[in-house]
Amino acid sequence: MLGTPRLTDARILVVDDERVNVVLLERILEQDGYRNVKSLTDPSGVPALFDEFEPDLVLLDLHMPKLDGFAVMKLLEDRISRDVFLPILILTADIRPEIKRRALSAGAKDFVTKPFDRTEVLLRIQNLLETRFLHLRMRHDAVPEGQAT
Amino acid sequence: MWRRYGDAVYTLMTLAIFGFETIALGALSLSFLLGRTTGIASTPVEGILLGIVISTASALALLGLYLLSYHFVSNLRDRWQADQLDQWTEWWVGLALTGPDQPGAHASDRYRLPRVAVHSVLSLLESVKGEEGDRLKEALAGHGVDSWFMRRARSGHLTAKLDAIENLGKARLPQAFDQLLGLLHHAKPVVRRMSARAAGVTLAIMPPTEGPDSPHARFIQAIKHADLQPGVVQESLLLLETRAGPILKELLSDPELSDSLRWVALETVGRLGLADMAELATASCDHPDPEIRAATFRCLRRLGTVPEGAEACLLEALDDDVDFVRIQAAHAAAFLPAETALAALEPHLQDDSWWVRRAAAGSLARLGEIGVATVRRAAESHPDKAAREMAVQILLEADEMSPAAARLATGVA
Repeated sequence: MLGTPRLTDARILVVDDERVNVVLLERILEQDGYRNVKSLTDPSGVPALFDEFEPDLVLLDLHMPKLDGFAVMKLLEDRISRDVFLPILILTADIRPEIKRRALSAGAKDFVTKPFDRTEVLLRIQNLLETRFLHLRMRHDAVPEGQAT
Repeated sequence: MWRRYGDAVYTLMTLAIFGFETIALGALSLSFLLGRTTGIASTPVEGILLGIVISTASALALLGLYLLSYHFVSNLRDRWQADQLDQWTEWWVGLALTGPDQPGAHASDRYRLPRVAVHSVLSLLESVKGEEGDRLKEALAGHGVDSWFMRRARSGHLTAKLDAIENLGKARLPQAFDQLLGLLHHAKPVVRRMSARAAGVTLAIMPPTEGPDSPHARFIQAIKHADLQPGVVQESLLLLETRAGPILKELLSDPELSDSLRWVALETVGRLGLADMAELATASCDHPDPEIRAATFRCLRRLGTVPEGAEACLLEALDDDVDFVRIQAAHAAAFLPAETALAALEPHLQDDSWWVRRAAAGSLARLGEIGVATVRRAAESHPDKAAREMAVQILLEADEMSPAAARLATGVA
């Protein structure tokens, strides 16, 4: 997989309490060729699915009842090693700079504002996945011959 | 609450209580009946008692049955509605992504959509814009939903009107924009509030055009002349998102702008982080109204910048007669060049206002090593006790001083 991974092989996890948004993102991703997409409308299930699915990218809604996007990122904090680039793309209708700053410091890598444009979402996903795969490639290359797992 | 999270427990408890009472009363009725045949319940009083017991048992049984059927039916109905919502969502998403090639996209035109279908497409329109959003709006118009919302927004019935305005806001239909602007002058504040919100989100997706008749210009005129609370105007400006810049620019450039709108515009520039408007915001730094002077410096603080042209005004504001202006100026002074900030803020460690002292010490600490050193020096040897205490407090909060050293500096045992 680390040779020349195809972006469409990437594992993408969608977390949004609104079923409508989940269906929309799933279909957008499917239409663009992404085959490994899993989604959740209940954010409390994120840690378990995260461990099982090992996503390359997390699409996360910020405003959710009970457990919001910030709390989800806090839950994922221990699961994402510091030397691993695992992008979290935030989907939010809140454009206030302080919210963006807070999300960025909590571990988010990029934002898409709702209502979003399909092309913009796909481009951001593509860019983040490319960066993710470059990081994986660099880590793989950095491991001495014979030690790579 | 229980309807959502405790349905199963509530149903079981109801069943247990009513079941227990029904069985007990049933047994009592039976024993009375048996007694009647054996001559035990033979008097008229016992007959009446028997009638009461039987009717109570029947009423409880009926009520229990009703509650159980209610839960059963509402559960089925919820599931059916969720299925319907899923089906409609899939259909609308298909339509948005594939366009008119979606099966049935034209066949169903002009028939009235069920409520669940409208709910589904409105939720979707809150998430998607561009070509996909336009397709959904076209479909809504094809079914006459847009004109139905607009008709209901003219309704005399308040709930129907508010419901329609909210839906127009979700749908962001440009054809409803002028009607929403008209509703900004409605007699009821709640209608004006909802309409301002809906007009803001609608304008946010409309293409920017110029000229006195452009939607932007009409929106500006409407908010200038409508009787709206500052919070409502601010919300509608925030909802303009990326379209807010030109409108705020025009508002702040207007010398005739009311104080209340100028205050709102400054707050919104800061909240939206529109750093390219810092110069324009600065023009209000010597406004006669202290609320506006304070809003100007709060705006600069939020933008994290003080334009060169604003430095003199900011330094002057640090000595303003009004303390809340000095507070905001002291906060904004953290973004002056370090040397200027040091010289300007240090004297305010002994300001009369606790809040100004706090803002000055906080801004000094944000200047980096040189600022922290000044605050530390003040904590150790400032002749003014209030200045020493504030400096200690700020150093403690910034983890730049240990609690033991703080106790020593303030002389607290």
